[in-house]
Amino acid sequence: MEPIIETFESRKKHMCIKGEGISLPVCDKASLPGTVTQRTCVYGGARIVLMPITDSIHLVHGPIGCAACTWDIRGSKSSRGDLYKKGCSTDLKEKDIVFGGEKKLFETVIELNKIYHPGAIFVYATCVSGIIGDDIKAVCKKSEEITGCRVIPVQSEGYQDHNKTKGHWIGGDALLDYVIGTREPEKTTPFDINIVGEFNVAGDLWGIKPLIEEMGINIISTLTGDSHVDEIAQAHRAKLNIVQCQKSSNYVAKKMEKKYGIPFIKVNFFGLEQTVNSLRDIANFFKDPDMMEKTEKIIRSGLKEVEHKTDEYKKRLDGKTVALYVGGNKAWSLVRAFEELGMDVMMSGTKNGIKEDYERIKETVKDGTIIVDDANSTELARLLKKYRPNLLISGAKEKYISLKLGIPFCDFNHDRISAFAGFKGFESFAKEVDASVSSPVFELTRKGLGN
Amino acid sequence: MHQNKKFSVINPSKMCQPMGAVQALLGVNDTMPLIHGSQGCGTYMRFQLTRHFREPIEVASTSMSEKTVIYGGEFNLMKALKNVTEKQSPSIIAVTSSCLTETIGEDMEGIIEKFKEANLDQDLPIIIPISTPSYVESHVEGYNRTIKALVEHLAVKSVGNEKINIITGNISPADVREVKNILSDLNCENIILTDTSKNLDAPLSESALDLYKDGTTIEEIEDTANSLGTIALSKHMDSAAIYLEKQFGVKSISGPLPLGIENTDKFIGSVCKLGELEVPETIKRDRGRLIDAMVDAHSYNYHRKVAIFGDPDFVSGMTRFTCEMGMIPSVVCTGTKSKRFIEDIQIISDEKKVSPVILAGGDLYDMHREIKEVGADILVGNSYGASMAKEEDIPLFRVGFPIFDRLGAQRIFTLGYKGGINFVDQLTNTMLDYYYDEAGYEVSGDESEETIFEGYFAGEEV
Repeated sequence: MEPIIETFESRKKHMCIKGEGISLPVCDKASLPGTVTQRTCVYGGARIVLMPITDSIHLVHGPIGCAACTWDIRGSKSSRGDLYKKGCSTDLKEKDIVFGGEKKLFETVIELNKIYHPGAIFVYATCVSGIIGDDIKAVCKKSEEITGCRVIPVQSEGYQDHNKTKGHWIGGDALLDYVIGTREPEKTTPFDINIVGEFNVAGDLWGIKPLIEEMGINIISTLTGDSHVDEIAQAHRAKLNIVQCQKSSNYVAKKMEKKYGIPFIKVNFFGLEQTVNSLRDIANFFKDPDMMEKTEKIIRSGLKEVEHKTDEYKKRLDGKTVALYVGGNKAWSLVRAFEELGMDVMMSGTKNGIKEDYERIKETVKDGTIIVDDANSTELARLLKKYRPNLLISGAKEKYISLKLGIPFCDFNHDRISAFAGFKGFESFAKEVDASVSSPVFELTRKGLGN
Repeated sequence: MHQNKKFSVINPSKMCQPMGAVQALLGVNDTMPLIHGSQGCGTYMRFQLTRHFREPIEVASTSMSEKTVIYGGEFNLMKALKNVTEKQSPSIIAVTSSCLTETIGEDMEGIIEKFKEANLDQDLPIIIPISTPSYVESHVEGYNRTIKALVEHLAVKSVGNEKINIITGNISPADVREVKNILSDLNCENIILTDTSKNLDAPLSESALDLYKDGTTIEEIEDTANSLGTIALSKHMDSAAIYLEKQFGVKSISGPLPLGIENTDKFIGSVCKLGELEVPETIKRDRGRLIDAMVDAHSYNYHRKVAIFGDPDFVSGMTRFTCEMGMIPSVVCTGTKSKRFIEDIQIISDEKKVSPVILAGGDLYDMHREIKEVGADILVGNSYGASMAKEEDIPLFRVGFPIFDRLGAQRIFTLGYKGGINFVDQLTNTMLDYYYDEAGYEVSGDESEETIFEGYFAGEEV
């Protein structure tokens, strides 16, 4: 049988085609040293899930590079201030490496609290602070006592694992251990929920929140998009958790179920069909006739609002192929949305997927779809060259690999320009996909001088 | 909100050494940078570089993990060297360390020797280790060490070549191109360390995904030992020049970055002196045009306050240039702690009778605090200045690294007389957009026409 693409022998099993054999790629293995991996570190994973907490300072305890390359990278929007966007670092120096960085960390926390009076200070451990053995937990405890501000250790040494998902979990643990359950809500209702794994990238949350509130539901907190730490502190009183990014946040939802008995359901607000299903799932959970009625009304008016609005885009997009190569969740959550546009998902893959993620992908995609795990830049280029999809959905590092090949690209990560969630989001989604796929500039890439 | 601070860095204006190393290596032909460290280092740097240059950027990682941190990274580094050799087979593998591998005390040179011994029968790439601990100084030093390492490993004395070596420092591909154009106008053969002009501003083509076919070649780096002299455009990146002087008697000149009239004059002077060359008419004409542009623009810029941040030599060069234009530098900031920077600014201050607040080793929080104190009409620096500019309601003129919120960072062009013309025109137009109305009249705060009209009509109604 012809291999999917040429690559290292050990990497071949990381790619498969649904419908042939077991249809699950080998995954969750360390990247081969010496390859240009698209993966990041555990610190990056932790930072990305906690950073959207907007009233907090995110302090990186390490040399300057760890903060300097990551302080503004998440496109999470805030409705209340931009404290979370500050790039804070202890800027560890040689002297600190030799004598330890605990004192510097302590002084920095005290100083940042004095300057900003934040809702919390999250302190992230990095490779170096881990190796030199700084006890960031002890420093956080001591500075919390002195300042009265929440100072929360995040044990996210970068080298801990090859998979940044470990970082998502560590970020979740920081919330479970130090935040959730530390404050009681002023009032509770029978319909209190948390939105878990929604990071408000490009304002996605704002396309979902009004729909849910209109159903008569009270949102206690969002983990973590556009949130304040005191709201997350009350999350233990919810009657239900709804999980949007299941890749990063099933972990937290499961742990909250175990610790507080809060059940969770998986939702997906990308695409009309998925939005409708998710709203119904939430209403069905509460089994409140009034809410069910309201929900159907919301669905009717939501669908009506976007009716025919995407027709023009669909005409151009019909039958076009798309390849997904994303962090995790979007490898399955976007599939139906593309199908609703009449597009054909021919490849889906993730950088950090674990077995349950690939099972999810396998369930969602149709036979013949290529499924890839942790493709490095060479492999990605080969896949694109060989199968030439009409569109690649991926992140910033992959963007120019695709564009240099003349393959249209759409950013679904942090550099996204518009919100895609909910009914209105679907319209923006269709518009942006069309803007990428149908632009005439890609025709020019196929024409040379004199032909 | 803006208090003095002592311990924390808030909104950094510098990056770490491995980043500088990668920036330097992107101008070398057929070379694979390999970061010996955690995956995140390579990935986040590629993220920064790729969104700035809007080109695919290849940086391999040894992908260190918990186990390798405990037992040492020898296995990972050996395996990485093997994989890169087999798959990309570049001419050079440049291995940079990271804070992680420096702290656990990895013997990179020893491991590389072992790898070479184990593969004696094979045709291996040249492997160059570069020590770039992230907790020492900044990306500026990382760049400096990398050029030095390249020269140390490769430069060989043979026959004199009548060329001049130029260490560009971290400047845009368009600026590298301009430096090359100036040298070509002067009829001066040259070796550029390192030449990013084609690699990081590539036409749309599949070949942009391969290792660079352009950029400084091994043969050129070998030949640097035979040149007439080396000019380091950045004073903070002159270690290779000093090495070549000591080792091979190649004369070394440090700075200045050719920004504006006086610094470009100095640069042209240095080249002419080293190469015993005459200044041609074309260059004199370009110089005259820059002066013409500055005269055309003077009334809009005179005594406008400018705040500048970025790499040390860029900031000092820009401080001088804006003074030449009649502007007043009010705050000048670099993330690198540098005495040379402070000295340079003091010399300019004395000469030009200005007294900017000097921040060496400062961050953008400090800079913002000082701007609030002494004021600024325009901010010159990278995209990280955007929120500060917005808050102060002043324009941000984007130059430096990284620029991710505007297109064309690879083509921003400020060096030499021609780059100067481009800068003066664009900066002045930014001023015109911001501070003057459509008829060309200055809009001055409260007395804007709108308020006058509003008041007038309101009065009439009563």
